Amino acid sequence: MAQHDNHDDHSHPPGLQHQFDDMGQQMDSVTIGMWTFLAQEIMFFGGLFTAYLVFRSRYPMAFAAGSNILDAFWGWLNTLVLIVSSLTMALSVYYAQKGNRNLQVIMIVLTMVFGSVFLGVKAIEYTDKYTHGHIPVDGWNMVVPEGEHGEDHSESATLTLPFETRVEAAEAGKDPHPNPRGEFQISDKEVELVTLAQEEGFLTETEKVGYFNNRGEFDRDKFTDKVQIFFWIYFVMTGLHALHMIVGLGIMLWLLYKAWKFTFSAEYYSPVEISGLYWHFVDIVWIFLFPLLYLLGRHFLAGGH
Amino acid sequence: MSEEQHIGIPGYLAVFAFLFIATIVTYVVALQDLDGMFFPGTNTLVALAIAFVKMTAVVLFFMHVRWQSRLIWLAVVSGFFWMAIMFAYTMQDYLTRSVIGF
Amino acid sequence: MENVDSINTGEGQGEEKVNYLTNGFSIKSWLLTKDHKRIAIMYLISVSVFFFIGGIYASLIRLELLTPASDLLESGTYNKVFTGHGVIMVFFFLIPAIPAILGNFLLPIMIGAKDLAFPRINLLSLYIYWVGGAFTMYALLQGGVDTGWTFYTPYSTTFSNSYVMAVGLGVFINGFSSILTGLNFIVTTHTMRAPGMTWFRLPLFVWAHYATSLVMILGTPVVAITILLLAVERFTQTGIFDPALGGDPILFQHLFWFYSHPAVYIMILPSMGVISELMSSFSRKKIFGYEFIAFSSIAIAVFGFLVWGHHMFVSGQSIYAGLVFSFLTMVVAVPSAIKMFNWTATMYKGSVSYDTPMLYAIGFLGLFLVGGLTGLFLGSIGLTVHLTDTYFIVAHFHYVMVGGTVLGYLGGIHYWWPKMTGRMYSEFWGKISAMLVFIGFNLTFFPQFILGYQGMPRRYAAYPEEFQVLNIFSTAGASVLGIGMVLPVIYLVASLINGKKAGDNPWLLPGLEWRTSSPPPTFNFEETPVITWEAYSFGEESGLDIDKARRESRVSPTA
Repeated sequence: MAQHDNHDDHSHPPGLQHQFDDMGQQMDSVTIGMWTFLAQEIMFFGGLFTAYLVFRSRYPMAFAAGSNILDAFWGWLNTLVLIVSSLTMALSVYYAQKGNRNLQVIMIVLTMVFGSVFLGVKAIEYTDKYTHGHIPVDGWNMVVPEGEHGEDHSESATLTLPFETRVEAAEAGKDPHPNPRGEFQISDKEVELVTLAQEEGFLTETEKVGYFNNRGEFDRDKFTDKVQIFFWIYFVMTGLHALHMIVGLGIMLWLLYKAWKFTFSAEYYSPVEISGLYWHFVDIVWIFLFPLLYLLGRHFLAGGH
Repeated sequence: MSEEQHIGIPGYLAVFAFLFIATIVTYVVALQDLDGMFFPGTNTLVALAIAFVKMTAVVLFFMHVRWQSRLIWLAVVSGFFWMAIMFAYTMQDYLTRSVIGF
Repeated sequence: MENVDSINTGEGQGEEKVNYLTNGFSIKSWLLTKDHKRIAIMYLISVSVFFFIGGIYASLIRLELLTPASDLLESGTYNKVFTGHGVIMVFFFLIPAIPAILGNFLLPIMIGAKDLAFPRINLLSLYIYWVGGAFTMYALLQGGVDTGWTFYTPYSTTFSNSYVMAVGLGVFINGFSSILTGLNFIVTTHTMRAPGMTWFRLPLFVWAHYATSLVMILGTPVVAITILLLAVERFTQTGIFDPALGGDPILFQHLFWFYSHPAVYIMILPSMGVISELMSSFSRKKIFGYEFIAFSSIAIAVFGFLVWGHHMFVSGQSIYAGLVFSFLTMVVAVPSAIKMFNWTATMYKGSVSYDTPMLYAIGFLGLFLVGGLTGLFLGSIGLTVHLTDTYFIVAHFHYVMVGGTVLGYLGGIHYWWPKMTGRMYSEFWGKISAMLVFIGFNLTFFPQFILGYQGMPRRYAAYPEEFQVLNIFSTAGASVLGIGMVLPVIYLVASLINGKKAGDNPWLLPGLEWRTSSPPPTFNFEETPVITWEAYSFGEESGLDIDKARRESRVSPTA
């Protein structure tokens, strides 16, 4: 194929692509490109955060109920796991700059390990939601036939037990949530939040319409719908975040291969750098998801009152 | 590029330690009834403030924005600015539904 | 024929140099190319295909509306037809048209770069466009979608029995094509400028594309997530947009219009960039108010994000928000008006020549003026209650989209055709078709302003009999418009076979793209240019020897 050869007059540094004049220009371009891409990602998640904001401002108690259903321990653990993976990612960039291939490879492997741990914990959480009827789609939850459980489990009493105990109870076949059609369901404990808010007088106008029927009586089904919205948003947000993690792991795999082949040096490390930017960005999204989904509203039941 | 555009191993560890502590703090604080102690919404405010500080630490040091050109700063800021536009102009609808007879 | 003989002469020594078109002929050399110019040509072909598919839908609509009764199409089919028209035209023609074809081809040349910053991402965005387009076309042919191109909930999530998810997914995929193109343009403009090409020496076409790219980057992901939410909601039948479950359909509209209003500026800003070039080139005069036009592009991009609520005046949004959005809509008219004033001031005392591209550009000025001013009608919160969902709206956005974007696009295609292909099209037929487009367009859409003002609602297959006369005008105009759109395809393709050789600089202009050969070589310039002149300088300082250029050019349209 006929080519213009005047670009090959000077020898190309390794990794320099034909459209650039020098490594500096290439480094600038990929950095600006990655940040532009991240600005795009901010807006992508921004749409979800807007949906969260709108519904949280409308139904704060339903969202507080949702937060209380989630297990904050797992969310907290996952935050730590991601922060550690961010550290190892930053270090792998550092060692790439230093040209230390072995430590770089180790750091990439560690990042992948922590990323996988995060996804593993996420899987545990999702499974827990499945067994307890918290998937916001009717029929997608585990079917628990009625009447197979001991009569001694009054629902509210069991549900105040810590998560681990509940899991044990479920494993022992004593799951206290009969759910014959696999529907989304909440427990009495979450309903207490509405009672509490009503007593203290901080139900919003939209909530008064949203949780109560025309006669002003509390309507559990209507309230459940709003908690369901929380879980719908929870699954979309964490699901898309997990998808970004999986993509990140794929990038890490490619980086690992490249690093193993001694590709990166003090002169050429921009792929590590910009992959790191992506990884840190995914971490940042979680830094916000954690308090928004797991923590807000937890004080209503944990604290005084 | 050859000049040191990072904070070195001790710096990275310090940032990590800060993030670690902040994560613990945000968890502990979320269980306290700050709304009751101060004003409604304090819990939310504190949780988001901590998240924001954590994000800033990651952006500045792990993502090396501290050493980047003004252009990169602009990209970061405009990303968040546009998200703020989306929040603000959407919420100006929802929060004023009851203000003028609607 | 001489062109064919010289293909194999090789290294740019002979009169016929190897250019981007002759650099490899295999299908692989096209499909795996990293050359922005080849990608632009492939976009040109694909976008044209979609344009004509959209055009077929348009002619079906106009034929149905010839008579008051719903006789040609039944209502359900009519819904699918206008939705198909909207989806294809908006997402697969208007949004990619100018950036992906003209922008792709010219932006690197105009700034003196060898290629875009990320050629492979550029190719990827073409493939994404193809995948999204194929997906959408498949769904449309399988049975189509009847929600309107806006996919409003809860109809689209709960009630519609059409292929909402498939079409939505096609649009979702296509969005990433747009995002990647925008990303490429932004980075290229920042890092790939030739020595001496300062920001204020950039052609206004580049400024316009930079502003467009900002909108693409910051807006498109929002519609992507919105359509994703819609698809998940439709799939699970629970979610956040269904009022029966406590959800909120207005939220969908907020998220959708957060992108889709700025998307209007994705369509019009590049066209404004083209018009800036045309106005200066065919008035042979430095553009009037360069900085004003440049910054008004950025201002439109920014303010464009603050006005989306004017699509929702009667949707249940709060009146307070309506007032704010109404006010900001008036504000965004200011930078558009600044551009109009500067373009007309450029023509003033210029040496104006009425070649085909300039005819399109002047047509643009008139039509965009009408489109923009009727936009103020619709932006004022009181009057809009009367006009919402009538043909007034239809006429307004066709004046802006067709009168603005399509005329700019056609003008640009004609203007740069000699650069892209090395051939000159038939000036006679070019002028005829420009006239037909202008006349046909006005005949089609001006009656719709009257119809809308009289209260004819949009999106209905049947209408009361008193509206028939104006509808016949409209359909007649659409036929003229259709001929005006088909003609360029014929004579432009014919020019490839028997068109005159254009020469490097057929319009005798100082712009950087006219200083390389036609068609340009694969890396655009023999050697990296050094820019020492201001943009649009026609005098001595541009270093352009007009007489030499005139001698070298085989045609001299200004003669």
